[in-house]
Amino acid sequence: MKRRSFLVAAALAALPGMALAHGPSRQKISLTTEVAAAPEEVWATIGNFQDMSWHPAVHSSTGEGGNNIDATRLLVLGQEGGPTIAEVLYKYDAAKMTYSYRITDVAVEVLPVTNYSSHLTVTPRDGGGSKIEWKGAFYRGYPNNDPPPELNDEAAIAAVTGVYQAGLDALVAKFGAPGS
Amino acid sequence: MLWSRNSVRRGLDLVAGLLIAALPAHADMAYVTCQNGDALSVFDLDQGVEVARWSLPGQPAGIAVSDDAVFTVAPMAKAVRRHDPMTGEVLTEAVLDGGPTGIALDITHGHLFVSDWYNARIWVLDSTDLTVLQELSVGSAPAGLDVSEDGRLLASADRDANQVSFFDADSLSLLGRVTVGERPYGLRFHKDGRLFVGNVGTNDISVINPAVLQVVGTIPVGERPYGVGFSGNLGFATNQYANTLSVFDATTLEPIKEIDTNEYPEGIDTTSDGKIVIANWFDNTIQIIDPTTQDITATLETADGPRAFGRFIRP
Repeated sequence: MKRRSFLVAAALAALPGMALAHGPSRQKISLTTEVAAAPEEVWATIGNFQDMSWHPAVHSSTGEGGNNIDATRLLVLGQEGGPTIAEVLYKYDAAKMTYSYRITDVAVEVLPVTNYSSHLTVTPRDGGGSKIEWKGAFYRGYPNNDPPPELNDEAAIAAVTGVYQAGLDALVAKFGAPGS
Repeated sequence: MLWSRNSVRRGLDLVAGLLIAALPAHADMAYVTCQNGDALSVFDLDQGVEVARWSLPGQPAGIAVSDDAVFTVAPMAKAVRRHDPMTGEVLTEAVLDGGPTGIALDITHGHLFVSDWYNARIWVLDSTDLTVLQELSVGSAPAGLDVSEDGRLLASADRDANQVSFFDADSLSLLGRVTVGERPYGLRFHKDGRLFVGNVGTNDISVINPAVLQVVGTIPVGERPYGVGFSGNLGFATNQYANTLSVFDATTLEPIKEIDTNEYPEGIDTTSDGKIVIANWFDNTIQIIDPTTQDITATLETADGPRAFGRFIRP
Protein backbone atom coordinates (compact mmCIF):
# COMPACT_ATOMS: atom_id res chain seq x y z
CA MET A 1 0.00 0.00 0.00
CA LYS A 2 2.73 2.36 1.00
CA ARG A 3 4.82 1.71 -2.08
CA ARG A 4 1.79 2.05 -4.32
CA SER A 5 0.96 5.40 -2.73
CA PHE A 6 4.48 6.59 -3.25
CA LEU A 7 4.43 5.59 -6.90
CA VAL A 8 1.18 7.45 -7.49
CA ALA A 9 2.55 10.54 -5.75
CA ALA A 10 5.68 10.37 -7.87
CA ALA A 11 3.63 10.01 -11.03
CA LEU A 12 1.52 13.03 -10.12
CA ALA A 13 4.60 15.07 -9.27
CA ALA A 14 5.96 14.32 -12.73
CA LEU A 15 2.85 15.88 -14.26
CA PRO A 16 2.40 19.19 -12.46
CA GLY A 17 -0.83 20.01 -14.25
CA MET A 18 -2.40 16.72 -13.26
CA ALA A 19 -2.34 17.31 -9.54
CA LEU A 20 -4.34 20.50 -10.03
CA ALA A 21 -6.82 19.15 -12.52
CA HIS A 22 -10.15 17.91 -11.31
CA GLY A 23 -13.42 16.40 -12.49
CA PRO A 24 -16.30 18.46 -13.80
CA SER A 25 -18.56 18.43 -10.78
CA ARG A 26 -17.68 19.23 -7.17
CA GLN A 27 -19.33 16.96 -4.62
CA LYS A 28 -20.38 17.76 -1.09
CA ILE A 29 -21.60 15.94 1.96
CA SER A 30 -22.77 17.07 5.37
CA LEU A 31 -23.16 14.72 8.33
CA THR A 32 -24.34 15.70 11.78
CA THR A 33 -24.68 13.90 15.08
CA GLU A 34 -25.79 14.80 18.58
CA VAL A 35 -24.07 13.97 21.86
CA ALA A 36 -24.87 14.45 25.56
CA ALA A 37 -21.72 16.41 26.49
CA ALA A 38 -21.62 20.22 26.49
CA PRO A 39 -20.11 21.96 23.43
CA GLU A 40 -17.05 23.08 25.44
CA GLU A 41 -16.27 19.51 26.34
CA VAL A 42 -16.64 18.27 22.76
CA TRP A 43 -14.57 21.18 21.46
CA ALA A 44 -11.80 20.35 23.93
CA THR A 45 -11.53 16.97 22.19
CA ILE A 46 -11.99 17.77 18.51
CA GLY A 47 -10.98 21.47 18.48
CA ASN A 48 -7.26 20.73 18.48
CA PHE A 49 -6.10 20.44 14.87
CA GLN A 50 -2.93 18.71 16.06
CA ASP A 51 -4.72 15.80 17.74
CA MET A 52 -7.10 13.68 15.70
CA SER A 53 -6.76 10.65 17.96
CA TRP A 54 -10.53 10.83 18.54
CA HIS A 55 -11.01 9.31 15.07
CA PRO A 56 -10.72 5.50 15.08
CA ALA A 57 -8.97 5.38 11.71
CA VAL A 58 -6.16 7.71 12.81
CA HIS A 59 -3.08 6.02 14.23
CA SER A 60 -1.00 9.16 14.76
CA SER A 61 -0.99 12.85 13.95
CA THR A 62 2.09 15.04 13.78
CA GLY A 63 2.26 18.63 12.64
CA GLU A 64 3.38 22.20 13.05
CA GLY A 65 1.72 25.49 13.79
CA GLY A 66 -0.80 24.48 16.45
CA ASN A 67 -4.21 25.89 15.59
CA ASN A 68 -2.92 28.84 13.61
CA ILE A 69 -3.86 29.44 10.00
CA ASP A 70 -1.59 27.41 7.69
CA ALA A 71 -0.83 24.89 10.46
CA THR A 72 -0.10 21.45 9.02
CA ARG A 73 -0.60 17.88 10.15
CA LEU A 74 0.27 14.47 8.78
CA LEU A 75 -2.20 11.75 9.67
CA VAL A 76 -1.03 8.14 9.65
CA LEU A 77 -3.95 5.80 9.21
CA GLY A 78 -4.49 2.39 10.77
CA GLN A 79 -1.07 1.53 12.13
CA GLU A 80 2.53 2.63 12.16
CA GLY A 81 3.73 2.86 8.57
CA GLY A 82 0.15 3.05 7.32
CA PRO A 83 -1.08 5.31 4.52
CA THR A 84 -0.93 9.04 5.16
CA ILE A 85 -2.98 12.17 4.60
CA ALA A 86 -1.33 15.61 4.71
CA GLU A 87 -3.60 18.49 5.68
CA VAL A 88 -3.47 22.24 6.25
CA LEU A 89 -5.68 24.44 8.44
CA TYR A 90 -7.12 27.47 6.67
CA LYS A 91 -9.84 28.73 9.00
CA TYR A 92 -10.09 28.53 12.78
CA ASP A 93 -12.55 30.22 15.11
CA ALA A 94 -12.49 28.95 18.71
CA ALA A 95 -15.33 31.29 19.75
CA LYS A 96 -17.60 29.83 17.09
CA MET A 97 -16.11 26.34 17.64
CA THR A 98 -15.43 25.77 13.97
CA TYR A 99 -12.45 25.16 11.73
CA SER A 100 -11.74 24.35 8.11
CA TYR A 101 -8.88 22.44 6.58
CA ARG A 102 -7.96 20.88 3.30
CA ILE A 103 -5.93 17.94 2.11
CA THR A 104 -2.63 18.89 0.51
CA ASP A 105 -1.54 15.36 -0.32
CA VAL A 106 -3.26 11.99 -0.40
CA ALA A 107 -3.11 9.04 -2.76
CA VAL A 108 -6.41 8.34 -4.47
CA GLU A 109 -6.05 4.71 -3.34
CA VAL A 110 -6.28 5.96 0.25
CA LEU A 111 -9.09 8.47 -0.25
CA PRO A 112 -10.45 8.74 -3.83
CA VAL A 113 -10.80 12.54 -3.87
CA THR A 114 -9.01 15.65 -5.09
CA ASN A 115 -9.30 19.33 -4.10
CA TYR A 116 -10.76 18.27 -0.76
CA SER A 117 -11.79 20.74 1.93
CA SER A 118 -13.49 19.95 5.23
CA HIS A 119 -15.28 21.84 8.01
CA LEU A 120 -15.97 20.76 11.60
CA THR A 121 -18.38 22.73 13.79
CA VAL A 122 -19.77 22.22 17.30
CA THR A 123 -22.98 24.01 18.33
CA PRO A 124 -25.27 23.76 21.38
CA ARG A 125 -28.15 21.33 21.00
CA ASP A 126 -31.69 22.38 21.89
CA GLY A 127 -32.46 20.68 25.18
CA GLY A 128 -28.81 20.22 26.20
CA GLY A 129 -25.74 18.55 24.80
CA SER A 130 -24.06 19.32 21.48
CA LYS A 131 -24.55 19.08 17.79
CA ILE A 132 -21.51 18.20 15.70
CA GLU A 133 -21.51 18.95 12.01
CA TRP A 134 -18.85 17.65 9.62
CA LYS A 135 -18.95 18.91 6.05
CA GLY A 136 -16.77 18.14 3.07
CA ALA A 137 -16.37 19.49 -0.46
CA PHE A 138 -14.27 17.65 -3.02
CA TYR A 139 -13.89 16.37 -6.55
CA ARG A 140 -13.69 12.71 -7.47
CA GLY A 141 -10.31 10.96 -7.57
CA TYR A 142 -10.16 10.75 -11.37
CA PRO A 143 -9.53 14.16 -12.93
CA ASN A 144 -10.35 13.25 -16.52
CA ASN A 145 -13.47 12.32 -18.42
CA ASP A 146 -15.18 8.94 -17.99
CA PRO A 147 -13.76 7.77 -14.63
CA PRO A 148 -13.35 4.12 -13.63
CA PRO A 149 -15.94 3.11 -11.00
CA GLU A 150 -13.51 3.15 -8.09
CA LEU A 151 -12.63 6.79 -8.83
CA ASN A 152 -16.01 8.25 -9.83
CA ASP A 153 -18.25 10.72 -7.99
CA GLU A 154 -20.16 7.99 -6.16
CA ALA A 155 -16.94 6.37 -4.91
CA ALA A 156 -15.69 9.74 -3.61
CA ILE A 157 -18.95 10.43 -1.78
CA ALA A 158 -19.04 6.93 -0.28
CA ALA A 159 -15.45 7.12 0.96
CA VAL A 160 -15.75 10.53 2.63
CA THR A 161 -19.12 9.61 4.12
CA GLY A 162 -17.49 6.52 5.63
CA VAL A 163 -14.71 8.58 7.21
CA TYR A 164 -17.12 11.12 8.69
CA GLN A 165 -19.57 8.50 9.93
CA ALA A 166 -16.84 6.54 11.70
CA GLY A 167 -15.59 9.71 13.38
CA LEU A 168 -19.02 10.89 14.48
CA ASP A 169 -19.95 7.42 15.74
CA ALA A 170 -16.79 7.42 17.87
CA LEU A 171 -17.79 10.79 19.35
CA VAL A 172 -21.23 9.47 20.25
CA ALA A 173 -19.57 6.48 21.91
CA LYS A 174 -17.25 8.80 23.84
CA PHE A 175 -19.73 11.49 24.89
CA GLY A 176 -22.96 9.50 24.93
CA ALA A 177 -26.17 10.06 23.02
CA PRO A 178 -28.27 12.96 24.31
CA GLY A 179 -30.86 12.00 26.93
CA SER A 180 -34.19 11.06 25.51
CA MET B 1 -40.99 17.84 -40.59
CA LEU B 2 -39.13 21.09 -40.05
CA TRP B 3 -42.07 23.20 -41.05
CA SER B 4 -44.32 21.68 -38.43
CA ARG B 5 -41.70 22.05 -35.70
CA ASN B 6 -41.21 25.67 -36.64
CA SER B 7 -44.89 26.40 -36.55
CA VAL B 8 -45.18 24.69 -33.19
CA ARG B 9 -42.35 26.77 -31.87
CA ARG B 10 -43.87 29.93 -33.27
CA GLY B 11 -47.05 29.05 -31.44
CA LEU B 12 -45.12 28.53 -28.22
CA ASP B 13 -43.33 31.83 -28.71
CA LEU B 14 -46.69 33.50 -29.04
CA VAL B 15 -47.88 31.93 -25.80
CA ALA B 16 -44.64 32.93 -24.10
CA GLY B 17 -45.10 36.46 -25.40
CA LEU B 18 -48.56 36.60 -23.90
CA LEU B 19 -47.21 35.34 -20.59
CA ILE B 20 -44.51 37.98 -20.57
CA ALA B 21 -47.08 40.63 -21.33
CA ALA B 22 -49.18 39.37 -18.44
CA LEU B 23 -46.41 39.92 -15.91
CA PRO B 24 -46.79 43.13 -13.87
CA ALA B 25 -43.40 44.54 -14.90
CA HIS B 26 -40.22 43.54 -16.67
CA ALA B 27 -38.88 41.60 -13.74
CA ASP B 28 -35.25 40.56 -13.64
CA MET B 29 -35.08 36.78 -13.70
CA ALA B 30 -32.17 34.75 -12.31
CA TYR B 31 -31.46 31.33 -13.80
CA VAL B 32 -29.39 29.40 -11.27
CA THR B 33 -27.90 26.09 -12.36
CA CYS B 34 -27.82 23.65 -9.43
CA GLN B 35 -25.17 21.07 -10.18
CA ASN B 36 -25.67 18.56 -7.37
CA GLY B 37 -29.46 18.68 -7.62
CA ASP B 38 -29.67 18.25 -11.41
CA ALA B 39 -31.90 21.29 -11.48
CA LEU B 40 -32.22 24.94 -12.37
CA SER B 41 -33.82 27.36 -9.91
CA VAL B 42 -35.62 30.31 -11.53
CA PHE B 43 -36.02 33.47 -9.44
CA ASP B 44 -38.13 36.54 -9.95
CA LEU B 45 -35.68 38.99 -8.43
CA ASP B 46 -38.17 41.84 -8.18
CA GLN B 47 -40.41 39.77 -5.95
CA GLY B 48 -37.53 37.85 -4.37
CA VAL B 49 -39.08 34.42 -4.88
CA GLU B 50 -38.17 31.19 -6.62
CA VAL B 51 -40.88 30.87 -9.26
CA ALA B 52 -39.84 27.57 -10.87
CA ARG B 53 -37.44 24.67 -10.49
CA TRP B 54 -36.59 22.90 -13.72
CA SER B 55 -35.36 19.33 -13.70
CA LEU B 56 -32.08 19.35 -15.60
CA PRO B 57 -30.07 16.11 -15.81
CA GLY B 58 -26.29 15.97 -16.20
CA GLN B 59 -25.12 18.21 -13.34
CA PRO B 60 -25.53 21.63 -14.95
CA ALA B 61 -23.11 24.47 -14.11
CA GLY B 62 -22.56 26.80 -17.09
CA ILE B 63 -25.27 29.32 -17.93
CA ALA B 64 -25.95 32.05 -20.49
CA VAL B 65 -29.14 34.00 -21.14
CA SER B 66 -30.70 36.15 -23.84
CA ASP B 67 -34.10 37.79 -24.28
CA ASP B 68 -35.61 34.69 -25.83
CA ALA B 69 -33.49 31.79 -24.57
CA VAL B 70 -31.63 30.29 -21.63
CA PHE B 71 -28.56 28.17 -22.38
CA THR B 72 -27.17 25.59 -19.96
CA VAL B 73 -24.13 23.32 -19.92
CA ALA B 74 -24.41 19.93 -18.19
CA PRO B 75 -20.89 18.40 -18.14
CA MET B 76 -21.90 14.92 -16.97
CA ALA B 77 -24.35 14.67 -19.86
CA LYS B 78 -21.84 16.49 -22.11
CA ALA B 79 -24.88 18.50 -23.15
CA VAL B 80 -25.53 22.09 -24.13
CA ARG B 81 -29.21 22.96 -24.10
CA ARG B 82 -31.31 25.85 -25.32
CA HIS B 83 -34.39 26.37 -23.16
CA ASP B 84 -37.56 28.35 -23.39
CA PRO B 85 -36.95 30.99 -20.68
CA MET B 86 -40.53 30.83 -19.44
CA THR B 87 -41.13 27.08 -19.28
CA GLY B 88 -37.66 25.56 -19.23
CA GLU B 89 -38.61 23.34 -22.15
CA VAL B 90 -35.54 22.10 -24.01
CA LEU B 91 -35.86 23.56 -27.51
CA THR B 92 -32.52 22.23 -28.80
CA GLU B 93 -29.83 20.02 -27.35
CA ALA B 94 -26.30 19.33 -28.54
CA VAL B 95 -23.98 16.66 -27.15
CA LEU B 96 -20.35 17.76 -27.24
CA ASP B 97 -17.71 15.07 -26.93
CA GLY B 98 -15.32 16.35 -24.28
CA GLY B 99 -15.78 18.34 -21.12
CA PRO B 100 -18.16 21.22 -21.86
CA THR B 101 -17.83 23.71 -18.98
CA GLY B 102 -18.05 27.49 -19.44
CA ILE B 103 -20.40 29.29 -21.82
CA ALA B 104 -20.89 32.76 -23.28
CA LEU B 105 -23.32 34.18 -25.79
CA ASP B 106 -22.44 36.54 -28.61
CA ILE B 107 -25.81 38.01 -29.58
CA THR B 108 -24.33 40.14 -32.36
CA HIS B 109 -23.08 37.18 -34.37
CA GLY B 110 -25.51 34.54 -33.09
CA HIS B 111 -22.64 32.53 -31.65
CA LEU B 112 -22.58 30.46 -28.49
CA PHE B 113 -19.12 29.69 -27.11
CA VAL B 114 -18.53 26.63 -24.93
CA SER B 115 -15.17 25.74 -23.34
CA ASP B 116 -13.85 22.17 -23.39
CA TRP B 117 -12.18 21.60 -20.01
CA TYR B 118 -10.43 18.46 -21.22
CA ASN B 119 -9.29 19.32 -24.72
CA ALA B 120 -7.98 22.90 -24.71
CA ARG B 121 -10.52 24.25 -27.16
CA ILE B 122 -13.67 26.31 -27.48
CA TRP B 123 -16.61 25.14 -29.51
CA VAL B 124 -18.34 27.83 -31.55
CA LEU B 125 -22.02 26.94 -31.88
CA ASP B 126 -24.87 28.47 -33.82
CA SER B 127 -26.92 29.89 -30.96
CA THR B 128 -30.21 28.83 -32.54
CA ASP B 129 -29.70 25.25 -33.73
CA LEU B 130 -26.57 24.53 -31.62
CA THR B 131 -24.60 23.05 -34.50
CA VAL B 132 -20.83 23.29 -34.14
CA LEU B 133 -19.51 25.87 -36.62
CA GLN B 134 -15.87 25.95 -35.61
CA GLU B 135 -13.34 25.15 -32.89
CA LEU B 136 -10.86 27.58 -31.37
CA SER B 137 -7.57 26.44 -29.80
CA VAL B 138 -6.84 27.68 -26.30
CA GLY B 139 -4.59 26.75 -23.37
CA SER B 140 -5.07 23.80 -21.04
CA ALA B 141 -8.34 23.51 -19.07
CA PRO B 142 -10.38 26.43 -20.37
CA ALA B 143 -13.10 27.36 -17.86
CA GLY B 144 -14.81 30.77 -17.80
CA LEU B 145 -15.74 32.56 -21.02
CA ASP B 146 -17.08 36.06 -21.60
CA VAL B 147 -17.95 38.32 -24.51
CA SER B 148 -17.27 42.06 -24.19
CA GLU B 149 -20.31 44.33 -23.93
CA ASP B 150 -19.58 45.83 -27.36
CA GLY B 151 -19.63 42.31 -28.79
CA ARG B 152 -16.15 42.58 -30.28
CA LEU B 153 -14.08 40.29 -28.05
CA LEU B 154 -14.22 36.79 -26.63
CA ALA B 155 -12.04 35.92 -23.61
CA SER B 156 -11.24 32.46 -22.23
CA ALA B 157 -9.70 31.69 -18.82
CA ASP B 158 -7.27 28.87 -19.63
CA ARG B 159 -6.93 27.60 -16.08
CA ASP B 160 -3.98 25.24 -16.20
CA ALA B 161 -2.08 27.47 -18.64
CA ASN B 162 -2.34 30.48 -16.27
CA GLN B 163 -3.44 32.65 -19.16
CA VAL B 164 -6.37 34.35 -20.86
CA SER B 165 -6.91 33.87 -24.61
CA PHE B 166 -8.51 36.73 -26.54
CA PHE B 167 -10.36 36.28 -29.84
CA ASP B 168 -11.89 38.73 -32.29
CA ALA B 169 -15.59 37.87 -32.07
CA ASP B 170 -16.14 38.91 -35.69
CA SER B 171 -13.34 36.97 -37.43
CA LEU B 172 -12.88 34.40 -34.62
CA SER B 173 -9.13 34.86 -35.00
CA LEU B 174 -6.78 34.74 -32.03
CA LEU B 175 -5.69 38.22 -30.90
CA GLY B 176 -3.29 37.02 -28.24
CA ARG B 177 -2.75 35.27 -24.95
CA VAL B 178 -2.03 37.10 -21.71
CA THR B 179 -0.33 35.47 -18.73
CA VAL B 180 -2.21 36.16 -15.50
CA GLY B 181 -2.05 34.75 -11.93
CA GLU B 182 -2.27 31.08 -11.11
CA ARG B 183 -5.30 29.08 -12.24
CA PRO B 184 -7.70 31.70 -13.65
CA TYR B 185 -11.25 30.35 -13.62
CA GLY B 186 -14.02 32.97 -13.70
CA LEU B 187 -13.80 36.22 -15.65
CA ARG B 188 -15.91 39.19 -16.68
CA PHE B 189 -15.58 42.17 -19.00
CA HIS B 190 -16.19 45.58 -17.44
CA LYS B 191 -18.43 47.90 -19.47
CA ASP B 192 -15.34 50.01 -20.30
CA GLY B 193 -13.72 47.05 -22.08
CA ARG B 194 -11.22 45.90 -19.48
CA LEU B 195 -11.28 42.24 -18.49
CA PHE B 196 -11.15 41.13 -14.83
CA VAL B 197 -10.17 37.52 -14.15
CA GLY B 198 -10.10 35.72 -10.79
CA ASN B 199 -7.01 33.59 -10.08
CA VAL B 200 -7.92 30.82 -7.64
CA GLY B 201 -4.27 29.86 -7.08
CA THR B 202 -2.95 33.32 -6.19
CA ASN B 203 -6.11 34.75 -4.59
CA ASP B 204 -6.15 37.86 -6.72
CA ILE B 205 -7.73 39.41 -9.78
CA SER B 206 -5.76 40.29 -12.90
CA VAL B 207 -7.04 43.33 -14.77
CA ILE B 208 -6.30 43.24 -18.50
CA ASN B 209 -6.50 45.99 -21.09
CA PRO B 210 -7.35 44.00 -24.25
CA ALA B 211 -6.27 46.89 -26.51
CA VAL B 212 -2.66 46.27 -25.52
CA LEU B 213 -3.09 42.67 -24.34
CA GLN B 214 -1.40 43.41 -21.04
CA VAL B 215 -2.15 43.07 -17.36
CA VAL B 216 -2.62 46.65 -16.11
CA GLY B 217 -3.32 45.87 -12.47
CA THR B 218 -3.74 43.18 -9.82
CA ILE B 219 -6.26 43.27 -6.97
CA PRO B 220 -5.78 41.13 -3.86
CA VAL B 221 -9.03 39.40 -2.84
CA GLY B 222 -10.02 36.51 -0.53
CA GLU B 223 -9.19 32.84 -0.81
CA ARG B 224 -10.18 31.11 -4.06
CA PRO B 225 -11.91 33.83 -6.10
CA TYR B 226 -14.22 32.07 -8.56
CA GLY B 227 -16.37 34.83 -9.99
CA VAL B 228 -16.22 38.55 -10.82
CA GLY B 229 -19.07 41.04 -11.25
CA PHE B 230 -19.67 44.79 -11.39
CA SER B 231 -22.13 47.43 -10.28
CA GLY B 232 -21.25 50.81 -11.70
CA ASN B 233 -17.70 51.50 -10.65
CA LEU B 234 -17.65 48.83 -7.97
CA GLY B 235 -16.18 45.39 -8.59
CA PHE B 236 -17.03 42.23 -6.66
CA ALA B 237 -15.34 38.84 -6.36
CA THR B 238 -16.81 35.67 -4.83
CA ASN B 239 -14.21 33.97 -2.63
CA GLN B 240 -15.09 30.33 -2.45
CA TYR B 241 -12.91 29.21 0.48
CA ALA B 242 -13.16 32.46 2.47
CA ASN B 243 -16.97 32.59 2.26
CA THR B 244 -16.75 36.28 1.46
CA LEU B 245 -17.49 38.75 -1.30
CA SER B 246 -14.61 41.16 -1.96
CA VAL B 247 -15.59 44.70 -2.94
CA PHE B 248 -13.11 46.84 -4.85
CA ASP B 249 -12.96 50.10 -6.73
CA ALA B 250 -12.86 49.17 -10.41
CA THR B 251 -11.00 52.39 -11.32
CA THR B 252 -8.32 52.66 -8.64
CA LEU B 253 -8.33 48.87 -8.15
CA GLU B 254 -8.19 49.46 -4.37
CA PRO B 255 -9.88 46.86 -2.11
CA ILE B 256 -12.83 48.37 -0.20
CA LYS B 257 -14.46 45.69 1.91
CA GLU B 258 -15.07 41.99 2.51
CA ILE B 259 -18.70 40.96 3.00
CA ASP B 260 -19.42 37.68 4.80
CA THR B 261 -21.57 35.38 2.66
CA ASN B 262 -22.97 31.88 2.88
CA GLU B 263 -20.57 29.05 2.11
CA TYR B 264 -18.78 28.53 -1.21
CA PRO B 265 -19.98 31.63 -3.07
CA GLU B 266 -19.40 31.15 -6.79
CA GLY B 267 -21.67 32.48 -9.57
CA ILE B 268 -22.16 36.24 -9.66
CA ASP B 269 -24.14 38.65 -11.82
CA THR B 270 -25.79 42.07 -11.75
CA THR B 271 -29.47 43.06 -11.97
CA SER B 272 -30.65 45.82 -14.29
CA ASP B 273 -30.81 48.20 -11.29
CA GLY B 274 -27.29 47.37 -10.18
CA LYS B 275 -27.80 44.84 -7.40
CA ILE B 276 -25.34 41.98 -7.11
CA VAL B 277 -26.59 38.40 -6.93
CA ILE B 278 -24.33 35.51 -5.88
CA ALA B 279 -24.89 31.75 -5.73
CA ASN B 280 -23.56 29.86 -2.68
CA TRP B 281 -22.76 26.30 -3.67
CA PHE B 282 -22.54 24.67 -0.26
CA ASP B 283 -25.49 26.36 1.44
CA ASN B 284 -27.93 26.11 -1.48
CA THR B 285 -28.75 29.81 -1.54
CA ILE B 286 -28.51 32.93 -3.61
CA GLN B 287 -27.84 36.21 -1.84
CA ILE B 288 -28.65 39.71 -3.06
CA ILE B 289 -26.28 42.56 -2.22
CA ASP B 290 -27.16 46.25 -2.24
CA PRO B 291 -24.11 47.98 -3.77
CA THR B 292 -24.85 51.26 -1.96
CA THR B 293 -24.86 49.90 1.57
CA GLN B 294 -22.74 46.88 0.59
CA ASP B 295 -24.96 44.69 2.73
CA ILE B 296 -26.78 41.46 2.00
CA THR B 297 -30.47 42.29 1.63
CA ALA B 298 -31.91 38.85 0.91
CA THR B 299 -31.00 35.15 1.13
CA LEU B 300 -33.13 32.77 -0.93
CA GLU B 301 -33.03 28.98 -1.11
CA THR B 302 -32.16 27.10 -4.31
CA ALA B 303 -32.00 23.47 -5.38
CA ASP B 304 -28.86 21.55 -4.34
CA GLY B 305 -25.45 22.91 -5.30
CA PRO B 306 -26.02 26.24 -7.11
CA ARG B 307 -23.14 27.17 -9.45
CA ALA B 308 -24.62 29.76 -11.85
CA PHE B 309 -21.32 29.81 -13.74
CA GLY B 310 -21.77 32.62 -16.27
CA ARG B 311 -24.10 35.56 -16.84
CA PHE B 312 -27.32 34.23 -15.33
CA ILE B 313 -29.63 37.23 -14.93
CA ARG B 314 -32.08 38.05 -17.73
CA PRO B 315 -33.36 41.63 -17.48
